[in-house]
Amino acid sequence: MNLSTVQKDAIQELGNIGAAHAATTLSQMLGSSVEMSVPGISIVDIARLGEYMGEESAAMVAFELQGDIPHGGFIIFYITRESAIRLTNTMLGLTEMNRPMNEMDQSALLEVGNIMVSAFLDATAELLGFVMLPSPPALSIDMAHAAMQSLIAQSTDDVDEVMLFSTELVCSEHKIDSDIILMPEHKTLQKIIVLLENMMKST
Amino acid sequence: MSDPAGVNAQMAMIGIGEYRVGSFQMVTIGLGSCIGLTLYDDRLRVGAMVHIMLPDSAGRKDRPGKYADTAIPLLLQELGALGCKNRNIVAKMAGGASMFEYFGANLNIGERNAEKVREFLLTEHIKLAAEDTGGKVGRSVTFLPAHEGKVSVRRADGTIRDI
Repeated sequence: MNLSTVQKDAIQELGNIGAAHAATTLSQMLGSSVEMSVPGISIVDIARLGEYMGEESAAMVAFELQGDIPHGGFIIFYITRESAIRLTNTMLGLTEMNRPMNEMDQSALLEVGNIMVSAFLDATAELLGFVMLPSPPALSIDMAHAAMQSLIAQSTDDVDEVMLFSTELVCSEHKIDSDIILMPEHKTLQKIIVLLENMMKST
Repeated sequence: MSDPAGVNAQMAMIGIGEYRVGSFQMVTIGLGSCIGLTLYDDRLRVGAMVHIMLPDSAGRKDRPGKYADTAIPLLLQELGALGCKNRNIVAKMAGGASMFEYFGANLNIGERNAEKVREFLLTEHIKLAAEDTGGKVGRSVTFLPAHEGKVSVRRADGTIRDI
């Protein structure tokens, strides 16, 4: 899986637009400003996934990409457990950090993930003219590696490496650190690249 | 926690689709639907560990540790080369969870992985001494062939249990 510099730049720009829209929705929900990193592209061999994501406890809201390509990959709202508690505390008006996560937290996380991922995919659909719809969300609050590994095992392609586009979204005021991670399957990635290349040619 | 193996002991981290054979400490982290399978020969005090991701290789040969159907015969062959007899080998496994309920309902890979491993162990006449599988929980596994083949399973909440 090799991408040229131009292709990487184009995908980064796409990620930038998607993440900016997601960041805006997060900022509105928190009533506070949210900073965004430059989107990163990682090509990870599955045997080395542990170096990318380890045993740390995290909440992950995962969506399968549907729409123009039926099983197009996954998009994930990733947030460390500590940040997840801060996020739901902020939303629910609570302050206790040392508490188990309950159903209220879970529905809040699903809702936040849903809103952010929808904003991300709406923005990319508008840009590309290619629709990626999110499936209903699924939540795991457990070891990050275990959740990510399960999504990779569920890909329709039997892959040895995955491509992860990740953008970090940070709310300094509430010390909330999260990521949006796009893990497209090969056919989705090819489609996105073709569309981006056509756009660049026509401008 | 004290480390009976000592600070200088060798330790192998086994990633998805990888396997190792020997008497050193072996570790797999963050098993979701994957299976961490250990095979141990008490007479020769050697063992093998593999991190299986999928039940069937569908003919693929390049990463035998990734699939239940190719991993088990390969590990037995490697242990056999060290002088292990199948009748002295004891298996333990952990993992096979369904981390995401919504997706899990459609396609329970964790359960299929565990089922395939059980089936292959039975075919090869290997005793499955213990397993910690299923549920909606991530697991990390530490295997110590030099300490009677001890297998410890750790969960995200920090609890550790020997199986």
